[in-house]
Amino acid sequence: MDILQHEVIKMSEKKEEQMPSFMSRVINIGFFGGLCWGVVGYIAYYLNLAKIGPALALAPWALGKWKGEWLGQLLGIIVIALLSILIAILYRFLFIRIKNMFGGLLYGILLWLCVFYLLHPIFPGLEPVKNLGRNTIATTICIFILYGVFVGYSVSFEYHQRKLMRERKSS
Amino acid sequence: MQNSKERQKTSISTNIKEVEEQLKHRIGIGESFDVGVRKLSVLKKEIQIYYCSGLCDTLFIIEIMRELMDMDHGHRAPSNVKEIVHNHLSHQQVDVTDNLEIAIDRMLSGLIAVFVEGEAEAFIVDVRSYPGRNPEEPDIEKVVRGSRDGYTENIIMNTALTRRRIRDERLRHEIMQVGKRSKTDVCITYIKDIADPGLVELIKKELQAIDIDGIPMADKTIEEFIVKQGWNPFPLVRYTERPDVAAQHIMEGHVLIITDTSPSVIITPTTYFHHVQHAEEYRQTPVVGAFIRWVRFAGIIASLLLVPLWYLYATQKGLLPHDIQFIGPHKTTHIPLFLQIIFAEIGIEILRVAAIHTPSPLSTAMGLIAAVLIGQIAIDVGLFVPEVILYVSVAAIGGFSTPSYELSVANKLLRLLVLVLTAIFHVPGFVFGATAILLYLCFMQNLNTPYLWPFMPFNGKAFMQIMVRLAVPLSSARPSIVHPQDANKQSK
Repeated sequence: MDILQHEVIKMSEKKEEQMPSFMSRVINIGFFGGLCWGVVGYIAYYLNLAKIGPALALAPWALGKWKGEWLGQLLGIIVIALLSILIAILYRFLFIRIKNMFGGLLYGILLWLCVFYLLHPIFPGLEPVKNLGRNTIATTICIFILYGVFVGYSVSFEYHQRKLMRERKSS
Repeated sequence: MQNSKERQKTSISTNIKEVEEQLKHRIGIGESFDVGVRKLSVLKKEIQIYYCSGLCDTLFIIEIMRELMDMDHGHRAPSNVKEIVHNHLSHQQVDVTDNLEIAIDRMLSGLIAVFVEGEAEAFIVDVRSYPGRNPEEPDIEKVVRGSRDGYTENIIMNTALTRRRIRDERLRHEIMQVGKRSKTDVCITYIKDIADPGLVELIKKELQAIDIDGIPMADKTIEEFIVKQGWNPFPLVRYTERPDVAAQHIMEGHVLIITDTSPSVIITPTTYFHHVQHAEEYRQTPVVGAFIRWVRFAGIIASLLLVPLWYLYATQKGLLPHDIQFIGPHKTTHIPLFLQIIFAEIGIEILRVAAIHTPSPLSTAMGLIAAVLIGQIAIDVGLFVPEVILYVSVAAIGGFSTPSYELSVANKLLRLLVLVLTAIFHVPGFVFGATAILLYLCFMQNLNTPYLWPFMPFNGKAFMQIMVRLAVPLSSARPSIVHPQDANKQSK
């Protein structure tokens, strides 16, 4: 009985030793992914390549006029970075086994469809997709794809890398 | 020696006349003037010394021969002539072989082969002295301070320069020969308890699989064989001519490939970000190093995207952001903007290609012609608008600031690609082009290493290293991408 309990404790210890660190990596990836591609989104917005900037993330809330200005964009980037942690965790639980990058690519497109079709009602200021114009659609899709690949590829690479390390250690 | 199992064995005849006949026939003594034989009679036995003049040091050979000749005075003819001769070869590197093939190979590499009458074994003495230059600072990787030595065309000197920096007993220089005719020495350098054994094995396998008559283009040919370049314009391995850079990478767990006859050493595995770093950044304080690096990054991004972006604004009315309205061509010429840019790009490319093989006294004149004639007068006669010259030049300078020459050329090609896409599809062309390049880089793998690591796939710590150049005491971990067996550089 004692031995069994000891075993269980040891196992949970071992689990704790690995799991949080992997999870923290996922969170890390999510946060930086959101930050990085949020900034790219802002640059694209500033350069007039897209009509929508990262401030879109603030759209569901009624805030002051500053929402559309650079402060709003900045805050939008931070909100996206935080939301992105959840998105990375979601990827970790849904698609982690996909080894190549197409998982991330599809994930990005899926996210784009989600934001611009499924979640459309919660963004009051957002025009319907057919009114956005070619430029904005192309730019946002590209950024979402890159973001999806960033998160997806990073998470699954980390996962497979760890698996490889474990295999190497055990052999 | 790795090739020994493939090399057929020819035993050495105990009849020295037969050996002489064989060698005369095979290496063409008398036909080629640079190979020869010196015959001595020592202790009533005939001794033949085969050499390849120009590759060996005559003073050493004279010294050895004097020693052998002196033997004759004191001794009466004993039975063990072979041992006595072996003892009197006054050199620290004396090999014994019973294989004529090895003897011939060695002799043609500049060693001397000593045959003794009545013996089935030959002595091989390393008296090599290759024609070549001394270490000097490589042109392409100059630093303001720091070591000024660089690799040379001599593999022995190169391994010595590396060994000077890493005295570790676990440093390995594994040599093998590539090329059926050229028999070029190729050396794999790594530290045994750091480098990924899988990678070392993989590289060895790839090198052994090379089946070619010769590799006069040395490192470049080796690279093409091991990384399978195809139509990919991006450089898949990093080259360095600096021993300090090489030693640094060896200690990080990279595996180096040194090829004889080339001063460029291959560093594997390589990612994109290996090509945007430079030794100079590590010779300055971390803050300054980080600053230099950021400026460099800006230059690289400009070299890739500035021209297509400007073209986009110049051709798409109303796209230009309000804050930067002053930009744009204010004049027009009769030539479409797209063609102007292409002409300017090709013009700069011609200048660059010309500069590579223009002797330096003439290159000043060439620069003058380029700057004054092509730049100013092309505008005056109405060929180009000034902006074209400006942006194409900025992009070109961004290319020159790229530490890796190979990468700068690849960026140039892709800039043209994005430009064409932009010209056809406007904004979507520009963004899809840029995205496609990034995805392509991200998909790329060489020697099982993702090319855009640590950005995509993301690795926070390693990415910080690339972004800000941490101080050495603060960076204690080896990059995980090389799968080091020992992950830490500094003990905690």
